[in-house]
Amino acid sequence: MPSSLLFGINSEGRVHTLSTTGTMWREIPYAGQEFKKLSAVPHFLWALGGDHQIYVYVHGLDIPIRVREESYENERWLPIEGFSSRLLPTDRYHFSNGDGTVDRSIDKIRLPSMAWQWEGDWQLELTLDGQPLDHQGWTYAVDFPSQYYSKKQWKSCVRRRLWVRSRRYSAMNSWCAIAPLHKDATSEPFIDISIGGQSVAGAEPGTMLVWAVTSHNRVMFRTGVSTKSPEGARWNPIQVPLGSEVNQINVGPTGLVWASLLDGRALVRTGVTRDCLTGDSWVEVRGPGDNLKISQLSVGSCAVWAITQNKQVWFRKGVKGEGAGMSEELAVGCGWVEMVGRMAQISVAANDQVFAVGADDRLVYYRSGVANSDLTGKRWKALHAPLQVSRASSNASLNRDKFHRSFNALQSRPSSMCEPSTISEWEDHSHSAPTAPTSLPVGDLTQKFETQPKNPKAWSPVHSVGSIVGTEVHPEVDESVWSDGSRESCIFAEDEELGWAEYEAPWSWVEAGACTVDPTQLPNWFAETGGGASQTEIGEPWRLKILQELKLRLPTEKYKNWQLAVDTTSWVHSGEARVSWGSGQFVDCVLQLEWVQTTGTLTVLNPDGASTMNLFSLNDITCVQCCSEPGSPRLALHVPRHAPSLLRLQFSSDAQLEEWQTHFATTCGKLHQALGKPSEESVWAVTGLGDVFIWDPTQLESNQLRENDYYVQKFDLSGKESPIKVALHGSFNPGTTLTLTGCIGDDADRIGINLDAHSTYKLRHKAYSEFENTCLHFNPRFTDGYIVRNSMIEGKWGKEECEGEMPLQKGHEFTLKIETTEDAFVIYIDDKLFTHYRHRLPPNSVSMLNIWGRLQPFRLVIKCPDIILDPLNLYWRQVGGHLRRVESCRVGVTWGIGYDHTAWVYTGGWGGGFLGPLDSHNVHPMTDSQDYRVYENQRWNPVTGYTSAGLPTDRYMWSDATGKQKRTRDQVKLLSVKWQWVSDWMIDFHVPGGVDRDGWQYAVDFPSTYHAHKNFTDYVRRRRWYRRCAVATTGPWQELGHTKLIDVSLEPVKDDLDSVISVWALASGGQAMFRTGVTRSNPTGTGWEHVTSDQPLASISCGSYNLVWATGKKGCAYWRAGINENKLEGERWVCVEPPNGGQLKQISVNCVGVWGVDHLGRLHVRREVTETFPEGTHWQTITVDPLVLNSAPSTTGFKHVSVGRNEVWATTDGGAMLRRTGICKTNPGGSGWFIGIPGNWQHVSVRAFN
Amino acid sequence: MANDREILREVWEGKLPISFQLDPDEVVELQQPDPFYLMVPRLSYFPLVTDKVRKHFLRYVANDKQDREMWLEYDGQPMKWHYPIGVLYDLLITSDDQLPWNITVHFDKFPENQIYKFSNKETVESYFMACLKEADVLKHRGQIASNMQKKDHNQLWLGLQNDKFDQFWAVNRKLMEVSQEQEHFKYIPFKCYLDDGYRQKLIKPVDEDGRRKTLQDLINEMFPGKNVVIKTHGMIPPLETPLQWMSEHLSYPDNFLHLCVQT
Repeated sequence: MPSSLLFGINSEGRVHTLSTTGTMWREIPYAGQEFKKLSAVPHFLWALGGDHQIYVYVHGLDIPIRVREESYENERWLPIEGFSSRLLPTDRYHFSNGDGTVDRSIDKIRLPSMAWQWEGDWQLELTLDGQPLDHQGWTYAVDFPSQYYSKKQWKSCVRRRLWVRSRRYSAMNSWCAIAPLHKDATSEPFIDISIGGQSVAGAEPGTMLVWAVTSHNRVMFRTGVSTKSPEGARWNPIQVPLGSEVNQINVGPTGLVWASLLDGRALVRTGVTRDCLTGDSWVEVRGPGDNLKISQLSVGSCAVWAITQNKQVWFRKGVKGEGAGMSEELAVGCGWVEMVGRMAQISVAANDQVFAVGADDRLVYYRSGVANSDLTGKRWKALHAPLQVSRASSNASLNRDKFHRSFNALQSRPSSMCEPSTISEWEDHSHSAPTAPTSLPVGDLTQKFETQPKNPKAWSPVHSVGSIVGTEVHPEVDESVWSDGSRESCIFAEDEELGWAEYEAPWSWVEAGACTVDPTQLPNWFAETGGGASQTEIGEPWRLKILQELKLRLPTEKYKNWQLAVDTTSWVHSGEARVSWGSGQFVDCVLQLEWVQTTGTLTVLNPDGASTMNLFSLNDITCVQCCSEPGSPRLALHVPRHAPSLLRLQFSSDAQLEEWQTHFATTCGKLHQALGKPSEESVWAVTGLGDVFIWDPTQLESNQLRENDYYVQKFDLSGKESPIKVALHGSFNPGTTLTLTGCIGDDADRIGINLDAHSTYKLRHKAYSEFENTCLHFNPRFTDGYIVRNSMIEGKWGKEECEGEMPLQKGHEFTLKIETTEDAFVIYIDDKLFTHYRHRLPPNSVSMLNIWGRLQPFRLVIKCPDIILDPLNLYWRQVGGHLRRVESCRVGVTWGIGYDHTAWVYTGGWGGGFLGPLDSHNVHPMTDSQDYRVYENQRWNPVTGYTSAGLPTDRYMWSDATGKQKRTRDQVKLLSVKWQWVSDWMIDFHVPGGVDRDGWQYAVDFPSTYHAHKNFTDYVRRRRWYRRCAVATTGPWQELGHTKLIDVSLEPVKDDLDSVISVWALASGGQAMFRTGVTRSNPTGTGWEHVTSDQPLASISCGSYNLVWATGKKGCAYWRAGINENKLEGERWVCVEPPNGGQLKQISVNCVGVWGVDHLGRLHVRREVTETFPEGTHWQTITVDPLVLNSAPSTTGFKHVSVGRNEVWATTDGGAMLRRTGICKTNPGGSGWFIGIPGNWQHVSVRAFN
Repeated sequence: MANDREILREVWEGKLPISFQLDPDEVVELQQPDPFYLMVPRLSYFPLVTDKVRKHFLRYVANDKQDREMWLEYDGQPMKWHYPIGVLYDLLITSDDQLPWNITVHFDKFPENQIYKFSNKETVESYFMACLKEADVLKHRGQIASNMQKKDHNQLWLGLQNDKFDQFWAVNRKLMEVSQEQEHFKYIPFKCYLDDGYRQKLIKPVDEDGRRKTLQDLINEMFPGKNVVIKTHGMIPPLETPLQWMSEHLSYPDNFLHLCVQT
């Protein structure tokens, strides 16, 4: 799990934090303010200062908080003046928002507080839906609410353009004060603060709820707090029942609010839902007993813990946060349970783990044994972690050092933001973070810095909304700007400035809201004397001596040849299962897997156990994949050299499935030497079920025959009869030779030896017409006495070449050797040069040898300078883990992205998943989550309105997205035992098209497009429900930080193994990022650099490090200009128009080309990409041809393409793996596909393969 | 937790070269049978590994004795088949370099007073499981073994019988777990072999102060005042080895520590 933080305040008011991956408490740099209480959710910390004001601390975010302010400038065309800003009275504002309802005058758009900073000036948006606009950025329409176009038409009466400006929250990793309730901060200070609500069911992602209590016992709710607006907007008072004096309040992660009153009772806020985040009423809850007054309480997801004044600990049972908004019972619970222990303060984490501060010893305690089945836990365990104390904590010089260092960083900021000024002016200035208004008076500032802002639009005084000072953030003045948002998310001062102390300071507060501790894998905080960690034992002298003695017991050499009492090298494993051949039905069978020393056989017997249905050698199995469906654990065995080539086995339980999977993996792995670490040049692929497979080319390399530098493939054709077709997988680059020996029949008339390429297919009237291509047609004609050489291009013969004699004789043996050179095929007959044949088609497109006529071939030998790769012959081995995509690069650094967008880095190990620990190395636990979705459909009828009784032709009331399959919520089953539900069925409020308050979206009829507002003509509606499930497995993957990614691409900068690797990624919102510091020895890198882009991006790929292409969400492509070795992030994005009629969904770039897949499943290649003109000129479209359509059932198009150094591989939506052949300089699009196994592939990465 | 894989593997892989010879008095054929050489796992039991031995020697024995129970003898002593092979070796062979181990095979005159009859696989299995449960009672008050299903018991036995480390340890590691509260076993299951039998005692792996006890502490409690040498698995472990660790890693498959005492 990525690390999370536990917070604590010691008796001196200093805030400390303990990371789950660390062992020491580290202090947050002291900024002059002590704190009394604090409340946290991951990355956001709200605290009550010693001055009773509220402070916010945002930390540890990889992506800066950025908000894009937009304003449309509207103009109408007037007869004489043309377009002008004088608008009709009924028109929208001159500067407005997108639909014209809100006035967005540029000079009125301000920063919400001092903690924000503008990034640059107002800029024009110069693209519309991917199409570039003119440099003025105007878009034209008939009238304001119509469709806007980039070109002015004769009927365009209005125009508008979009101004954008981004503002960034710049107070990262520092304290920011929240404005007090009244101008006089001391008139009603705060006495408690709590943040939670990060998991309110169905709410906008990023919503958080902040509640506070003032000294007048009033309850306040902070509106507008979210990840995009960390400080919120303003305080709203919330009514409490008469006579209740609230003194403490706590918000749980689901938004459930409990408050404790002065008289010892508690109040619960009910009705907190996504529509009403503040809830609607209070319910009173009595304390645990008559004289037991609640003094403090804390709310988790399904647990509420309280402390009474006599330091006793109580647990409230019956609370269920998920449903608390709708049900009062679930919010209030049903009784108090007394717990052992005396505690002064308690805090419950979001996963219901509990931390507390001891009443007598003031140590931090953790409640062990808390699990879903037993929320009360077993016992209290004391945390023993030393404190790291800042040596210079109260010393102003600490701040000064930080200050000077950051000044240099300031110099590199864009000039529009940094106005030069002298240092001496602000050295006397208060160095603390923006705190109480008294330290930074408004008036002084305007005099302090002499340089006035040059452009009034860029700098304007801001009246802050709810935050302290009414001035713009300015780098020279404001310490909060010093923290460099793009650096590693460290909230600590540099280590050399800190000393550390071993003492245990008395704690006064612990906060677990941001801490996720996995009870099965406790962090290293409990250094106890009893058990002892195994790491310390490894080096112990007694252990080493024992190990040595054990090894010396038997001189193994002497007894090497002795027979073993128990023979472990040969075994038979059998079991019952059901088998389906190809696409046939499942029938009962008995499986028998026999392994004898070094080979194995799989026999499929009839249920009687005696007669055989089929048997084959384990060598023929190229891939063993899980193809389960819910309730049916299944394995697919691919045996491409057999017919049928796919065998599916169904087992009676998941355990049996895993047993067989392990047997196949170990035996086939031994046969193909696919054990241990896969090579760095491996090709990675991911199936539709999330399983990860690797093909390791080193085995192919070692298995292929070699002659000097050539790869050799031999075929024995003597048993075959003409006509014969042999697939040729060699690249036919210059240097390739093909040698055929055979004997010509006595009665031969015309014989043919053709080097064919893939046929071209053209779609005419919905049917494909096939046009053959032949690179070399070698046609000896005995009756005519000459040999014809020709080529067929798209079904048309070219000019025949017939010069020369006829060295071949009927009835005689011959040797034909064809050598490929740059320009021509050089043909030798019986070792004598016969002729040259200039290439008419690129020789790389040769894919088949076609022999016809009366001749008997004997042997065919192909010699090729590159490795000969038949995609059907590759052995895929499985690696543990559950991922959606995997991208690798040629030095072996590989990253993966799960379905829940978590980023994982390959540890270099193997095994995991179903493979036992013996066959695994360097594996870690791994989780991934997915949502199952079900649609509820209803039709409107005049009598009863919307009901689920529809027309007979309608879709099912509960269905999947297409409406064709019935799917009720109870029917949805999990794929296997490894998956578990982590939520209930919930209404999905984030459906494309929008939904109304209850989650419904409306349409004219079921198959139309849906929208959120019910129109008069909408007769149907639907609602989407989702339920989240998660899988827990293990694999050689390590989680990378907190950032969620949707795509990643890696490429080393230089050719050596230790080179820095360029890693480009897209965060879940489509923002481009660059990971710094990634090398082979440090595959996780050190930090993220944010790369701005105008549009959210959907796919990114980097070729040689300076070739970076991406696709936008709207479908057009971008390439990154300005990348060089010193500036690996480049400078700007250049837009490239998408191919005709297609929106690009995915793009892949490398030395061999730029390829993309569009939303219709077509492939496109960028043509004429050169060094000087890296964007190419146009797209060449490659559509699916019948070969591809037949490769797997239900194939309609391409799904994913991966471009390597010499290879282009792709997957189809039917799950087949394809390899492009015929790629050469003159034909970068290639000429045909070699088909691999239909392994339900949905993603492949061939970048590492050379 | 028994998570030191390296040690566990070394212990598991321990083997002994044995040279089996048929008692010359029982040979009825003209030719003396060749000795039968076999590498046997230290952790296993003789009845599980001697099928081949029996097959090899059977035809040299008189017909009426062929369905008798086979028994083994070394140096005049009949071998107790219910002791693990490694324990027998450590007990009977005191000096070094006595490999291969020469054992005599008998079919006649079964010494019923000295060893038990019915040394077939099922009897060994029952005995093995009984030891396992006894060890679990000592370690965890019997809670873990009683919660195991029949198939787990089967897996343990099959793993031992077929010399499959992973199969065995997949289940055995559950028996080596410590509960969250305690972090150590209740008592250490062990047998100290000396003279002609073995001794057991209730010994905890930690003392009253919570300090981990070592092998030295066990010796002090079992043989106060005496200077003894403890041998197990063919080697002499250092005296400062913690008892909890020893029980987790140096136990035989029946979860007991079998310690041969030499004065």
